[in-house]
Amino acid sequence: MTMHNDPIFESVYRDTLPKVARMVHRMGGDLDTAKDIFHDAVIIYLEKKQQNTSSIASDQAYIMGIARILCLRRLKDDHQYVALPSSEDDYGIPADFYDPPPVAQPVINFLKSAGRKCLQLLQAFYYDKLPMAEIAQTLQYKTQHVATVQKYKCLEKIREQVKQTQHEEAAL
Amino acid sequence: MRKQLCEIRDIGQYLEQQQDTAGQRVFEARELTSPELAEKVSYQRKIVQLVRWLARRNRRRQLDNLYRQLMTDETYRQKITSIFQ
Repeated sequence: MTMHNDPIFESVYRDTLPKVARMVHRMGGDLDTAKDIFHDAVIIYLEKKQQNTSSIASDQAYIMGIARILCLRRLKDDHQYVALPSSEDDYGIPADFYDPPPVAQPVINFLKSAGRKCLQLLQAFYYDKLPMAEIAQTLQYKTQHVATVQKYKCLEKIREQVKQTQHEEAAL
Repeated sequence: MRKQLCEIRDIGQYLEQQQDTAGQRVFEARELTSPELAEKVSYQRKIVQLVRWLARRNRRRQLDNLYRQLMTDETYRQKITSIFQ
């Protein structure tokens, strides 16, 4: 199941959103909160699917499970007395999920302008975890080797910018 | 391939844990003796984090679009909004 124009995904989305909304409502959240929690749960679920690390018996139950943890976490931030259930580990929500970007906004903008193809390449490799042969084919590089070298060049280019920004921040 | 690019490849292999244990240890020893290399490793790690963060942001945007699209269906919209009334 993928996100892009996948009728199965859309159907799971359509069926699960009201269930998550009811849960969030019971916990005192509004529609916007429900939507945000649901989307975060879907993203984490899709990452788990990609990693293939856990066997997911029911897509909907899994998304609901993550959403419940995220909802409790958010409530915990609002009301300190809510205890987190021990089942949280079952879902392994990424530790850096809500962290702010590790570098400043100008670098994010640079990363975007570093070239759409650069970003697509890095995202396909580091986030979608696709094999280099498939990335080369999709992004129309002549060979896998060309795509790999291009990945290094992209990293080099962005690294210089990160370095410069951090030095500027340190000087402030 | 240029020396700089080879170094980026080595850092990548280290971060992705593609080397064997001995290779990892050798790299870590190099990192300990070279602050310049340690700095480069830290930058490369940050870029990977940044790419992940951006990818999640893109997904959120796509999901928001799907949400807006679904909410144009009046029956569905009512089903959702009635929960909060």
